[in-house]
Amino acid sequence: MNYVEADSLCKSYGRNTALRGVSFDVAEGELFGIIGPDGAGKTSIFRILTTLILPDSGSGKVLGLDIIGDYREIRRHIGYMPGRFSLYQDLSVEENLRFFATLFGTTIEENYHLVKDIYRYIEPFADRKAGALSGGMKQKLALCCALIHKPEVLFLDEPTTGVDPVSRKEFWNMLKRLRDSGLSIIVSTPYMDEATLCDRIALIKNGKFMDTDTPQGIIGKFDFPLLAVNGPGMPALLRATREIPQVLSCYAFGNEHHVTMKDKGLSPDAAALIIRTALYAKGYGEVSIKAIEPNIEDCFMYFDTMEEKA
Amino acid sequence: MKDLKRFLSFVGKEFCHILRDTRTLMVLIAMPVIMIVLFGFALSTELKDVKIAVCDLSKDAASSEIMAKISASPYFKVSAYVNNAEEINRAFLKGEADAAIVFEDNFYQRVLHDGHAGIQIIADGTNTNTGTMSVVYLSNIIGGFIRELAEERAMDMQGETSAGNVPIRIDTSSHMLYNPQMKSAFNFVPGVMGMIFMLVSAMMTSVSIVREKERGTMEVLLVSPVKPFAVILAKTIPYFVVSAFNLIVIICLSVFLLKVPVSGSLLWLVAVTLLFILVSLSIGILISTLVSKQEIAILISGVVLMLPTMLLSGMLFPIESMPEALQWFSCLIPAKWYIESMKMIMIQGLGIRYCLEHVLILCGFLAATGGASIIKFKDRL
Repeated sequence: MNYVEADSLCKSYGRNTALRGVSFDVAEGELFGIIGPDGAGKTSIFRILTTLILPDSGSGKVLGLDIIGDYREIRRHIGYMPGRFSLYQDLSVEENLRFFATLFGTTIEENYHLVKDIYRYIEPFADRKAGALSGGMKQKLALCCALIHKPEVLFLDEPTTGVDPVSRKEFWNMLKRLRDSGLSIIVSTPYMDEATLCDRIALIKNGKFMDTDTPQGIIGKFDFPLLAVNGPGMPALLRATREIPQVLSCYAFGNEHHVTMKDKGLSPDAAALIIRTALYAKGYGEVSIKAIEPNIEDCFMYFDTMEEKA
Repeated sequence: MKDLKRFLSFVGKEFCHILRDTRTLMVLIAMPVIMIVLFGFALSTELKDVKIAVCDLSKDAASSEIMAKISASPYFKVSAYVNNAEEINRAFLKGEADAAIVFEDNFYQRVLHDGHAGIQIIADGTNTNTGTMSVVYLSNIIGGFIRELAEERAMDMQGETSAGNVPIRIDTSSHMLYNPQMKSAFNFVPGVMGMIFMLVSAMMTSVSIVREKERGTMEVLLVSPVKPFAVILAKTIPYFVVSAFNLIVIICLSVFLLKVPVSGSLLWLVAVTLLFILVSLSIGILISTLVSKQEIAILISGVVLMLPTMLLSGMLFPIESMPEALQWFSCLIPAKWYIESMKMIMIQGLGIRYCLEHVLILCGFLAATGGASIIKFKDRL
């Protein structure tokens, strides 16, 4: 049985359309990632599936229960961590956890084993006010509070936004352990590098899923030659590269530019030669060019370019 | 059992919020005390150097003697001598006089021959307390003069068998400018009560519920097995307790500090007040279901609740002297009915049957706002 099913969910707020027909499903014990930029509609998906808002059209099921008709029952079995830090800042770490445990009719002691791995990071600060915690610790506490009642599905809306890289890594390790214990997890993130940590991902843009697959599956669909170009005068270099007729797209990516070639059959060396010659003609002699493997962000950009052209 | 425990943990959490936020605590606990004490001091201010304009149309022995007595008292000082009504008015407007005293012409002659004469006292009604007290003090001084005069005459007439003994009467007619009704100064205690319970119960409750929406905690609470209405109800209980505590403080302060007695039944006073607190809480919940920003909740409770409560409830201005349209409008303000019933029970000492109508109207408000908030309440965002 699929733990979560969404079928052509649509939602608009006034004139703004947030979701234009989103469908996906999540199996038991699966870590499903929704990857996309801010404003793509990620939060709307979460709010619809956690029964907080109603979709304009489309339907959904969580644990086999209808998100519209059986919303009360769904609320007993899911854990939800909203995008914003949503605990009581003026209550201490322990008070927050205890409150949420009582809320679901359980106690910290009863379900301590569920949160032990995470809670031990923040236990030394049990008496500290939640508002005085660092970003990473706040998220760990919020995760504990979402887990304390032993949910079967966990909804995490951008849990790592604004969290330092080390804490992000720890956080993802925790998610993997939870997944391994049989929990279904739906997580959203604007960070493309976190996508490969999920079992399956959906790339979302403007309220639509561009693709849903395993990270490897999505990367496998990218069959264009991809080059990384680096050289002096990066902004001008970006414009110059985009002007080359054989180039499909070119995006700034960290301290290099990722260049996709139009001709799929081109070997990496041949592609590099074309770029080097063209750039040399434009006066860029000293550029380093190397063939690279695509990552999720390249795929995202590629899908995006394809949609715009279509 | 689990439900009860859950509910209690909610209430406990809410108390934590209140107790840990000094500013909220100040508004809830200190504000009522400050308001009562402030009004109390305004009420008990001793008269000192009240400026008197004198319009002495007779300028004889009696009027001079009365004026000498007035000048000699520490409360008054003669600030202007005027000759007619227009000059009196001008003295008031210029701020040269807080009160005026007018002796009719041939004052002493009239006293001696007719046995009665007229003095008019005019006081500035905008300053209610000073106004009333000036009139009372001036009347006392004049009364003293009359007694002395009467005693003198009685002495003079001892042994005389004259039948033409005329009892003396001086008619002191006092007149309040600008606020002719001169509502009892005690009225402010019910007024402050109405305001405080509106503030604590309606405004603070709506703000605290809306805060949960704004901070996103409501989102988490909704995605839980707790019935959302239980969440709201749990949030109102601490404010109900705080209001009840404030009621005790206010009654103690007004009885022991301000010497405003509870003339009627204390039981009914408490009962009607608790009813009004429930009305306010229910209004607070209704506001919180309508808005999602704390500022807007404050604005609504400030403009839609507090302002009319202060202006239209008869606390500052008597309702009877308002334009008829406003009088009708004031009927829509729950605090008006509460304050009126408090005046009856607390100040006038009337029984509950005299304010039965008020109590029923408050019950109506409770049903209407409670019903509206249940209808408006959403299980979702």
